[in-house]
Amino acid sequence: MTSALDRWNPLTPLAAAIALVVVAFIGPQPWTPVVVLAVALLVAAASGIGGKVAALTMLVALPTFVLLVLVDVAFPDASASHARWVPSMASTLDALAISLRLGAAIAALGVIVVGVAPRRLTRALAAKGLPAWAAYLVIASLEAVPEARRRADDVIDAQRCRGVAMGKGTGVRGRLRALPALAGPLIVGLVTESEERALALDARAFEPGARRTALAPIGDTRGEQWARRVIWLALATAIAWRLWEFVHTLSIVS
Amino acid sequence: MSASPLALSLRLRSVAYDGRVALRDVALDISRAEIVGIAGHVGAGKSTLALAAAGLLGRSLPAAIDGTIHHPLGGRPPAAFVFANPSTQLTELGETVEEEVAVGPENQALSSPLIRARVDRALALANASPLAARLPRDLSGGELQRVALASALALDAPLIVLDEPTAQLDPEAAAHFASALRSLRDSGVAILIVEQNLELLASLADRVILLADGAILASGAPREVLGHTPPLDARLGALPTRDDRGPRRLVAQIERAPLLTIHSLSAGYDERVVLQNLSLTIGDGEVVAWLGKNGAGKSTLARTIMGLVTARAGRIGVASTDLTTMPVHERARFVGLVFQDPRRQLFSRTILEEVMFGPRTLGANRHAALAQGREALAVVGLDGRESEHPGDLAPQLQRRLAIASALASQPRFLMLDEPTAGQDAEGRGFIAAALELQRSRGAAAVITHDLEFAQATCDHNVTIDSGHLSNIGRISLDPD
Repeated sequence: MTSALDRWNPLTPLAAAIALVVVAFIGPQPWTPVVVLAVALLVAAASGIGGKVAALTMLVALPTFVLLVLVDVAFPDASASHARWVPSMASTLDALAISLRLGAAIAALGVIVVGVAPRRLTRALAAKGLPAWAAYLVIASLEAVPEARRRADDVIDAQRCRGVAMGKGTGVRGRLRALPALAGPLIVGLVTESEERALALDARAFEPGARRTALAPIGDTRGEQWARRVIWLALATAIAWRLWEFVHTLSIVS
Repeated sequence: MSASPLALSLRLRSVAYDGRVALRDVALDISRAEIVGIAGHVGAGKSTLALAAAGLLGRSLPAAIDGTIHHPLGGRPPAAFVFANPSTQLTELGETVEEEVAVGPENQALSSPLIRARVDRALALANASPLAARLPRDLSGGELQRVALASALALDAPLIVLDEPTAQLDPEAAAHFASALRSLRDSGVAILIVEQNLELLASLADRVILLADGAILASGAPREVLGHTPPLDARLGALPTRDDRGPRRLVAQIERAPLLTIHSLSAGYDERVVLQNLSLTIGDGEVVAWLGKNGAGKSTLARTIMGLVTARAGRIGVASTDLTTMPVHERARFVGLVFQDPRRQLFSRTILEEVMFGPRTLGANRHAALAQGREALAVVGLDGRESEHPGDLAPQLQRRLAIASALASQPRFLMLDEPTAGQDAEGRGFIAAALELQRSRGAAAVITHDLEFAQATCDHNVTIDSGHLSNIGRISLDPD
């Protein structure tokens, strides 16, 4: 997978994404999440991954909004003056605000998930001292689903070769009937494979706590290092400002 | 034994897995610049000895070890290991072949230029440089085996332990591999190699150890141990003599009715075209060897006939039935396929259930399925083990079980992908018997790099080169 983000050290977009997520939650509502969402989607579009990030955002934000509105309809405030089974304007706006914040966070993180290759990210983190076991854990977690899918495909192929009807055109009953024959070998295979992987790592001088180097280290320019420092500083300032506001509000109330 | 410093000093009273003794009373020293070969029947303890020699037993692979294993030359790691199944070598830490090969030097925390030098040298030695930018999961079995070897070589360890490293290599790649091992030996590396190809072992090793039932049966000069008449262990067999080398079968002169007919077949994966305009006919009662270099398209041809890869153009027929657009599960009535990696082909809880699965799915009643399954198990030498779990079998026996499972469904045309990989003489005999049974039912194709087996069991060969048929003819043991 390659994207325009590969021009950067992955830690820079990661820092920016984390900052955007925090700002979306602590910034003035409702405009901050809107701005964060717009920035994230623009960056995604400029990196050639706009469609995937937008789809991911909608996948989370839209059901959240609908669910919150439905909860309001199903369990209305006892003092509500509006008609039963109709959502109130206030609760709809609340649902919109929550969904927007969540959507903004998902869009910001989505840029990293979709646009940054996991192995590049772990290599960049390893260069900053991430231990080998943590790097492996990240990659193994990300590889677990595609690996399980490949294994399932193999088992399905083996079963089709022996006359089991599967794949396109197979009804729900057919798929359900094939499930037990698929689940057993899939689970046993994944366990066996994890044992083999441990052996493979052992045979390749892998030591969990040790530092690893890289065939092609990720570049990290002075400009990017400064950019990250500025991001972290701006984030710390925003959090401090929000805390000060919170304490100030508490003192007024008391 | 030479006076060079030792790279391995191993004294094992016993090695056991879950109380089951796999090795007993084994002593082995290997000097620098020495190649030691290990031969033995399936289940003799060869892989256990190899894993122990590499220092991998008792760490990620639990085993009770009574004895000592020393690597006097040190090193991190003291030994590199090449697994029998090349996919076991992959750590997934690297995405491309080049990155996967770099994993070892990266773990050794070397500088980037040093890693680059190691990777390039290892890829060149393993004849895998052209694969550097490919994804490991897209490679053929033989290509993956070269990557596995490169991954081990990149560690630059003083001792290299190889478990069946040539099982899936084509003859040219195997010859290159042997030459690479010799040059490593000449540069001072100690090498321990487990190999079922006795001819290769005899030409490569400085001395050979013959294991039988977990203990050393004999050791000494390769030709003395492996060429002994009668063989020291009948299960392993012996080196072929000159008399054995003539073609046993002649190219079929009899006019046979065509059973498999392929006309102008093209197929591939995504944008990659693997088979191009390929036409082929196999007659009823024929057993044909499909030969060709690693990655030539042999396995893709088998998967396309089975329907697992969609044909982009052309027609495929068995007897009078057109299979071209037939779904895989319906083709299973006419054709059978045993994969290169049989582990992923087995999915039942017992061996008997495994062999009955195909016949039952294809409509046989329980009684008939039981009879078909038992017959297939007897042919491959697995009768009497019906209640065992397929996962508990040795890889060589799993391969024979996969063959039995395909055979039990009684397809007209059966394809076996590298069936003799890792098999001893006894196992090869069972597979030859399975092919003879199939010959009486229809026809078979054997994808193999094992030319001796092909010569002994097949009527003729079809050579595939870059997705085309390049030759149809008599099987020759000559390298060219």
